[in-house]
Amino acid sequence: MKALEALEERTGSDWKHLRAARQTSERKRAEIKKALDNFSTADASIVVVGSLAREEFTAGSDIDWTLLLDGISRPQDEQLARDIRLALDEIEKKQPGREGVFGTLVSSHDLIHRIGGETDTNANTTRRILLLLESVAIGRPEAHSRVLNNILYRYLDEDRGLWFGSSPYKVPRFLFNDVARYWRTMAVDFAYKQRSRPDGGFLLRNVKLRMSRKLLFLAGMLTCFDCHTRFKTPESRAEFYSKKPVEAVIDRLREILANPPLEILALSLLPYDKFDGSIKKLFTAYDDFIGMLADDTLLPNEITKRKHLDTLPVEQIEGDAVATEARDISHRFRDAIGELFLTKDTELGILTLEYGVF
Amino acid sequence: MRTVGFSSGAVAYGDFRGALTNLRDRHFECLELSALRVPELAPLIEALPQLDLSAYSYVSLHAPSMFTREEEASVAETLYTGVPEAWPIVVHPDTIHDFKHWIRFGKRIAIENMDRRKPIGRTAGELQEIFNCLPEASLCFDVGHARQCDTSMTEAFLILSKFSGRLVQVHISEVNSASQHDPISHGAKLAFQRIACMIPEQIPIIIESRVTDTQISVEAVRALEALTPALVC
Repeated sequence: MKALEALEERTGSDWKHLRAARQTSERKRAEIKKALDNFSTADASIVVVGSLAREEFTAGSDIDWTLLLDGISRPQDEQLARDIRLALDEIEKKQPGREGVFGTLVSSHDLIHRIGGETDTNANTTRRILLLLESVAIGRPEAHSRVLNNILYRYLDEDRGLWFGSSPYKVPRFLFNDVARYWRTMAVDFAYKQRSRPDGGFLLRNVKLRMSRKLLFLAGMLTCFDCHTRFKTPESRAEFYSKKPVEAVIDRLREILANPPLEILALSLLPYDKFDGSIKKLFTAYDDFIGMLADDTLLPNEITKRKHLDTLPVEQIEGDAVATEARDISHRFRDAIGELFLTKDTELGILTLEYGVF
Repeated sequence: MRTVGFSSGAVAYGDFRGALTNLRDRHFECLELSALRVPELAPLIEALPQLDLSAYSYVSLHAPSMFTREEEASVAETLYTGVPEAWPIVVHPDTIHDFKHWIRFGKRIAIENMDRRKPIGRTAGELQEIFNCLPEASLCFDVGHARQCDTSMTEAFLILSKFSGRLVQVHISEVNSASQHDPISHGAKLAFQRIACMIPEQIPIIIESRVTDTQISVEAVRALEALTPALVC
């Protein structure tokens, strides 16, 4: 998180909750790696997504994992996934449901071949985009790395506009549209879950949507923008894209995506010191969000803020102090994003206006 | 026009004389003599002065793919003194126990990128570590290995981008999931074509596909097709 640390120092900030979450994530990953020492192979990577991959792990976070297969199918793979679950049970009880999007084995085939169309299910899109934007291999990374390269290859090789289009902007629109689609899907699914899960979780899901899900979209968007912004001159950009260097773009995107979303955001904002006020506001809001989730002090009702957010009935949100605090954090985050990205004063802003909506 | 030929081991496993017989009168310009096991090395080196290799404008030698630490000095010495200086010596990086035996070879040693069974030498990053220890070494780029490690061919692209100046020969074959060298499939051909433009025409192509006598000519044609650059490359 070098860029984030640089911004923290430059803006005179103290993002202690982000630092603590990074350390907790590192510890938890090491713990998992030790527990799953001999479970991964050249054809099977154990991949974590979610807060653990974003380096935002706090008490109460769950471990979202997948056994990603990219090779010969073997009957014992199912047992392997069950054994991973058992091994993780020993160190962390909070795992995805058995029938969920995560916590099971996933084949590379659907992730690579089913992009768009009827067969690209909600679960498949979720797995694919999270694999791209917030995933880390625990143990052997070969299958994870191959699948990422192949997914990116699909997006890039088939993007005629990127290679042959007349637009002055070089942004991989196929990839960007899928990232944007996923962001909107999460927003729609939030409303869906409000209906299908009336018993609770509304406020926690809402805050996560406004914060970590929005961050994920931002990171994906900025990763796509890097295909345009990384060049020092328009001439060097034109020269680069005059051929079709798919693999070179994959390599660059992988380099960026090896960072957690917060760091991708920080890397993109690093050159914009004129906007340090907004940058400080953005990351401070996120730090407060992580601090809120990590806070283990008990409220008068004997539960943590996180638990309170997770259980507060919708009809009691108005006037609730914790809900108000969460809303304030998300509004500061939203406003800072608006100041930084909905402006014609920066290249990132121009690209956001060009690609963000239409 | 690319120059192409076979590895003796692909045509006649463990039998370089048989391979030379099988390849005679087929007009290949390149040849790789392989001694993949230690006991094969000395007989091959001893036989070199008697072998008729006049048909070949390019010859390389593949060193044993496994030897013990105790055998290493002797293997290196045999190669250093017994192989003509102009011939590249292909070495698997995972066989090396101590780089001190290999530094003196300079560019004569051609480090081959590995298949995914091996713990090192598979990616551009892993090869860089080898070249840090053998700064003058050349590269034998195995396009089948590179595809097996990364089917998107990104790793192949990175290896060729980073080490183009070291490239002395190419190994080509379909490397299957058991890491065996099979004849080049249509899928492999499509993948290889994507990076073909990064391999200069003058670089010798050594086919490693395990083929029968009747498949030799067909496989050579496939290899050349596979290294014909795609329209956009």
